[in-house]
Amino acid sequence: MREMDSALDLQKELPEGRVLAVRGLTKDFTMHLVDGRVAHALKGVDLEVEQGEHVALAGPSGAGKSTLLRCVYRTYLTTSGAIGLRTSTGAVVDLATMPDWDVAMLRGREIGYVSQFLRAEPRRPVIEIVARAGIARGMERGEALDAAAVALRRVGIDEALWPVHATVLSGGQKQRVNIAAGTISPPRLLLLDEPVSALDPVNRVSVLDLIAGLREQGVAVLSVFHDLEAIEMLATRVVVVEGGRVAADGDPHEVLRANHGLAVAR
Amino acid sequence: MSLTLHERAQYAGAPLASPAPAPAWTLSVRGLGKIYGDTSEESIAGTGPEFGTAVSPNTGAIVAAWGVDLDVAPGEALGVIGESGSGKSTVLRCIAGDEPATAGEMLFTDHGGSTERLDQLSPTERRRMRISDISVVYQDPALGLTMDVSAGGNVADPLTAAGWRNFGRIRSRATELLQRTEVPIARMDHPVKAFSGGMKQRVQIAKSLANDPSLLLLDEPTTGLDASVAAGVLDLMRGLLEETNVAAIVVSHDFSVIEMLTTRVIVMQHGRVVEAGLTDQLLEDPQHPYSQQLVAAARG
Repeated sequence: MREMDSALDLQKELPEGRVLAVRGLTKDFTMHLVDGRVAHALKGVDLEVEQGEHVALAGPSGAGKSTLLRCVYRTYLTTSGAIGLRTSTGAVVDLATMPDWDVAMLRGREIGYVSQFLRAEPRRPVIEIVARAGIARGMERGEALDAAAVALRRVGIDEALWPVHATVLSGGQKQRVNIAAGTISPPRLLLLDEPVSALDPVNRVSVLDLIAGLREQGVAVLSVFHDLEAIEMLATRVVVVEGGRVAADGDPHEVLRANHGLAVAR
Repeated sequence: MSLTLHERAQYAGAPLASPAPAPAWTLSVRGLGKIYGDTSEESIAGTGPEFGTAVSPNTGAIVAAWGVDLDVAPGEALGVIGESGSGKSTVLRCIAGDEPATAGEMLFTDHGGSTERLDQLSPTERRRMRISDISVVYQDPALGLTMDVSAGGNVADPLTAAGWRNFGRIRSRATELLQRTEVPIARMDHPVKAFSGGMKQRVQIAKSLANDPSLLLLDEPTTGLDASVAAGVLDLMRGLLEETNVAAIVVSHDFSVIEMLTTRVIVMQHGRVVEAGLTDQLLEDPQHPYSQQLVAAARG
């Protein structure tokens, strides 16, 4: 296992205004049940996201886009490299190596993560799922319930569904509940993994508007979208990932117009 | 072998600023060990995951737990997962004081901020602590309850042990606790042996909360219950853990229990901790061969 370059000064990599600085990130999966086979999913990724910037990851499926998001959220353990985050208090931390307990605290307070699949908690009402995200962000229970109501209305979840257990919702409804929870108050860093893939056209547009609004509030967004249209509408920068490496990084229209655009999506 | 997160953190070079002040752990355990039989150093060699056994080839002693480190903070639940014989219940019993540990330090800090070394307390002091500060909910309700005694009497027991004398106050506290754990008050005076399995667990949970403990130890609390009954007990525990500031350790072989109740988890095999991580990370990206095997078995 390679270790983080101790000479790397994350403080320098994260000047004020920058929220995320990924440096030399590699991710190997060692499959002990398959003869110890190793899959090299990320092979040295450098990436940064500034405050109020929306960086969309593009590239063919299997390129490592979702893996990168999950490493940042620490659902996956980084093999080597650093994931620097400048928190709202100005502290610089390395999400790749900081203790679990600190990551758990940071997740609640500063990092929103909306994945394509909501693994709905069993037997928990919709309103409660969203309100708990608010409590984790430091709200009082009453305040969190009010904020949850606002967030659910914003994503078009009918009030009749609020006391219902989320497990019985449709895929698109679950996804919208997930978005409401992830955006109940603007997080410092929002990670989006195909957040509109299960939505009908009307809800899709309203959720995309919501995401655009968050960026304007200064949220740093790192996303994976299935479709070019969403990327063109939301991204301020596109990073193309291919074979676990960054293949291009720049203005969305230029990057998408270049060859790499052909490899985007599906 | 992959490194545990603790090891990874140590290798990570200069420490960076922490986003939150370091937690004041309710319980901090270092190097906990429990050996049945010859407790000399000789018994350790040849045991553990790399040898596939907890039985010492040198002395025949059972090294049920060795070198176990764990921390749990107020308001947090830590999971301990592993199959039967992995040592997870042994660790819980040593923390509870049901059995003396062979080795290790256990630093305990209660709600009020006073700190004690559990491993250095006398048996009398340990008993006092079990009444006032550390509660256990056992898989087998017979271990936590007196079966011939009523539900109310069982819940009153730790209160009288803690010095409560006023009958009316004891009765109203017991009623409050049983209401909180959804035991029908009409059945408060019935002996618990007449209760269903799920209802016995609810009485046990009510009893465990009687003196507002700082640390709650849950040992397979839903194992053996019908799925729908287990779900109700789990929902109750989830609610209690979220509402109170108690630190909890949840021992289970069942990932669905661990996933629902805990944010962090340690994995045990043959008496050793083989991996520690965030619960979702352990489920999505298990590192150790044994963890991968457990997750694969659970996920199908």
